[in-house]
Amino acid sequence: MTKIIGPYIKSKNTTSKMMLNLILALLPIIVFTVYKNGFLPYQAGKIDLIHIFYPLLFILLPSLVSFIIETLYAIVFLKKRNKDIIRYIRNSYSFFPGLFLGLVLPINMPIWIVLLGAAVATISKMIFGGFGKNIFNPALIGYLFIFLLFSSYFQVDGGYLNKLEVDTISSSTPLTNAVLVEGIGDYDSLVKPYGSLINFFTGMIPGAVGETSALLCLLALIYLTITGAIKWRIPVVYILTVFFITSFIGNINDLGMWYPLFQILSGGLMFGAVFMATDPVTSPTTCQAQILYGLFLGILTVGIRYLTPFPEGVFISILVMNIFARVLDIVGSKAKFDFRVSLIPYLIAWALIIGLGFYIGNNYVKDASKVDANFKIISKETIGNKTTYIATQKGYVSDIKAEVIINNEKVISYKVLEQSESFYYKIYDSNYLDTLVNNQFSLNNVDTVSGATVTSTSLKKLLQNVLKDYDESDIPIIYDEEEKDFEIINIENNEDKIIYNVNKKSFGGYLQLRITFVHDVIEEITVVNQNDSYFGLVIDANYITTIIRNQQQLEEIDTVSGATISSQAIKDAITKTIEDYSGKQTINE
Amino acid sequence: MIVGKKLDIGKDLSKYNKINSFLNPQYVYVPLVSGSDKNITVVVKKGDYVYKGSIIGKSKGNFRIPIHSSVSGIVIDFIEKSYLDGSKVKCVKIENDFKEQVISKKEVVTKISKYSKEDFIKVLQTCGVIGMGGAGFPTYVKYNTDKKVDTLIVNAVECEPYITADYVLVQDKMEELLEVVDAVMEINGIKEGIIAIKKSNNELIKKFYNYLGTYPKIKVVGVNNIYPAGWERGLITKVKGVDYHKLPLEKGIVVNNVSTMLAIYEALKYHKPLVERIVTFTGEDLKEPQNILVKIGTLASDVIEHIGGTVKENYLLIAGGPMMGSEIDDKDLIITANCSCVLLKDLVSDNDIVNCMRCGKCTDVCPAHLSPVLIKDNLKNVKNIKKLKAKRCIECGLCSYICPSKIRLRELVIEAKKKMDSGVK
Repeated sequence: MTKIIGPYIKSKNTTSKMMLNLILALLPIIVFTVYKNGFLPYQAGKIDLIHIFYPLLFILLPSLVSFIIETLYAIVFLKKRNKDIIRYIRNSYSFFPGLFLGLVLPINMPIWIVLLGAAVATISKMIFGGFGKNIFNPALIGYLFIFLLFSSYFQVDGGYLNKLEVDTISSSTPLTNAVLVEGIGDYDSLVKPYGSLINFFTGMIPGAVGETSALLCLLALIYLTITGAIKWRIPVVYILTVFFITSFIGNINDLGMWYPLFQILSGGLMFGAVFMATDPVTSPTTCQAQILYGLFLGILTVGIRYLTPFPEGVFISILVMNIFARVLDIVGSKAKFDFRVSLIPYLIAWALIIGLGFYIGNNYVKDASKVDANFKIISKETIGNKTTYIATQKGYVSDIKAEVIINNEKVISYKVLEQSESFYYKIYDSNYLDTLVNNQFSLNNVDTVSGATVTSTSLKKLLQNVLKDYDESDIPIIYDEEEKDFEIINIENNEDKIIYNVNKKSFGGYLQLRITFVHDVIEEITVVNQNDSYFGLVIDANYITTIIRNQQQLEEIDTVSGATISSQAIKDAITKTIEDYSGKQTINE
Repeated sequence: MIVGKKLDIGKDLSKYNKINSFLNPQYVYVPLVSGSDKNITVVVKKGDYVYKGSIIGKSKGNFRIPIHSSVSGIVIDFIEKSYLDGSKVKCVKIENDFKEQVISKKEVVTKISKYSKEDFIKVLQTCGVIGMGGAGFPTYVKYNTDKKVDTLIVNAVECEPYITADYVLVQDKMEELLEVVDAVMEINGIKEGIIAIKKSNNELIKKFYNYLGTYPKIKVVGVNNIYPAGWERGLITKVKGVDYHKLPLEKGIVVNNVSTMLAIYEALKYHKPLVERIVTFTGEDLKEPQNILVKIGTLASDVIEHIGGTVKENYLLIAGGPMMGSEIDDKDLIITANCSCVLLKDLVSDNDIVNCMRCGKCTDVCPAHLSPVLIKDNLKNVKNIKKLKAKRCIECGLCSYICPSKIRLRELVIEAKKKMDSGVK
């Protein structure tokens, strides 16, 4: 008889209870995704009734694949039979990799890729020896596999946007959008396209199937912490670290508190922190190691978001930190006896946090002024005022080759010569090239085409790069007789009124003015026609009234800030009209 | 702060029941053991008549403690019985003549604080007073020092689940306890006396307050109701805010279990050797759980039979509490002075053990700041086990208790400790 060594009482907590709690915490998230990605598009008439539960299928099918593969693996390679296999199934929680994978992918990812990813996820777990032995988070290995081999499918059919969002939101996920925004961005460009931060909190923004609702992730965090089902220190420290660094960055750039909130509510950070970073098997077991793990996860995530072309960074950070989990545990186990052991890692972490915040805060300028390595001019030819560019810009699949013709500082033609983009028809359908040409002076305000975000961004960048080159190359402008800066269309003589109709070149084209003289004094100026973007500012500033009042000292009138060109153009037009009028009056006398 | 876990279970089984006694077993089997010291010279032979309190064995080790007979009667045999750590130990089997004969009646000492320090130490030694909390270390040794002792801590925490022997003792003998604490302090020139008790035992703390006016030097300190709040090192950190290297004496502190204090009382007052103690007989498989005063050397099975027997035929017999106690597989346990509890529980199965998922609960809960999960991982690597300081394990069992995968971590860490020992050799 073998003697049993105590203790002879055990806590009621079991592994299966912890896993059950995890599932309970995930349930609201699953319900929410069915509501957001199934019910709402159906209600809006975007999908059929049967597709309401597609999001559920999107999560359950990969779970099933994970389960089947692990069970087969246990039967074939581990030679488990009968009772053993039932016991094995009960204790291996084999459906989780597929479940989590489904939750972190875009809803429009073809299901066969998701299932393949789930298979890879489970196999990656089995290679390391199964539940409890794997070093890397299996679901994230599946994610990485899809990311490396099927990256183009992240954009398929609107990518992260469900059928309703495709029509209502012109951009992609908030962080993909943030990459496209020039420089660090502002509230209008980062948050406004999605409504407000409340939407970020509730989860009504585009994103992976299960990761958008920060609220539900936080509730899950609270529930799982109270029930003791997760290592709560990791998500808490992780989220706070990202918040801290980004508020540092935001502060340097005079952005409000919305900025760090935007950062922690975006890109699946909450979901990743609560559910993926806390995967018990692949994260550290000791207290200090968990805190350090959270700190470095935050540092890596911020680093990846700002310093690499990848917009999100949560999952890559977790996979990288998985490698260090056991190393950190060595530090953590020693720190339990003597905290000083962990001082060096803490110092490194804090140096990185401060350094990263300071560096990004002060130096983060997204390619606006730099040479774009993805852009190449193939030929440039100037005949008279007409310059023809043939250039390439890296697109989604490969380089896009296009011809841009600029006449007198103005783009008059933009044609794509060669491309092999997957969703080019969307560009074509939306007349995107025309939109770009029409808004050539305010390209930053042009939205991308949803479902072809990368391609449309590339096309925009190509045009911007060509214009930049054109501006920098000082091509002499030969003023043509035909192209007049100022032109008197006609002069009407109406009893004591003399009315000038004039054209003046301005910001967005010609500005047509009607100027009425009564007794040698301008009594009225009417803007007949204008194409200037910020002309509203001119009106708001009562600029025209100012001109009429100060028509004797026009040179002393300041231009309207924000509409300098437009207001200057009006002033010049009036000056020239007065010159003409005075000349004519002198002759008459 | 002591890391630990609220583990306040099983106490109600015996806590409020009447304290009984079973002082007339037909045979006693007085074990020739003192604490962990089994190197005892027998001074009686078969057929000898012994009085209650006669010396029947003497320790050969560094700490000389006599072994007393707990009854009067005839030595009839020397046989092996199970000791509380599960090992076999040689016992002197004495047939009780039920006369309770003693060699000579000693006078009752009215004022026990009148002892000189030398006499005090001598009385503790001759009466064989040992630590009754579990270790069984001779008590006189703690006081037999030139070092200045400033603080006496009386450990009445009793944090192990199920055990209530100290609780009922404090309730029953509070005046005696305070008297002996005061006397020991006066004899040894100790300035501060602290009685450490669980905060949750309000009724006892309130009762103490009635007496404290009489004993201004004695404080009652409440500790949190967690396991292992009664662990010596943790308790000293909690009540005095200091840590020590090997022994509390380094910091001028002596810690005694509350049962030991009352054994000191009986030794000082009546010159009574340590031949009886209150033991908690409890557990779901016992018909009538209770605290019972028994002779040292009584067979646990005799006591169980005396108090009404068991519920089931198959059960686990555990010497000590459910956390740190040991299973006695032959159920042939003899009661010793350091055995505070006999626990009867259902058999446990191994089927519920699953793979470790590295949740880290064992590292969070360990009061000795160990990382049991990492010790488990490195069991094959003695060098790593050393780095993980497995030796510091106090075997409290919380890691096994807390583990959701039901892995028997305490067993693994004990194994690691053994490996370290053999590795050193």
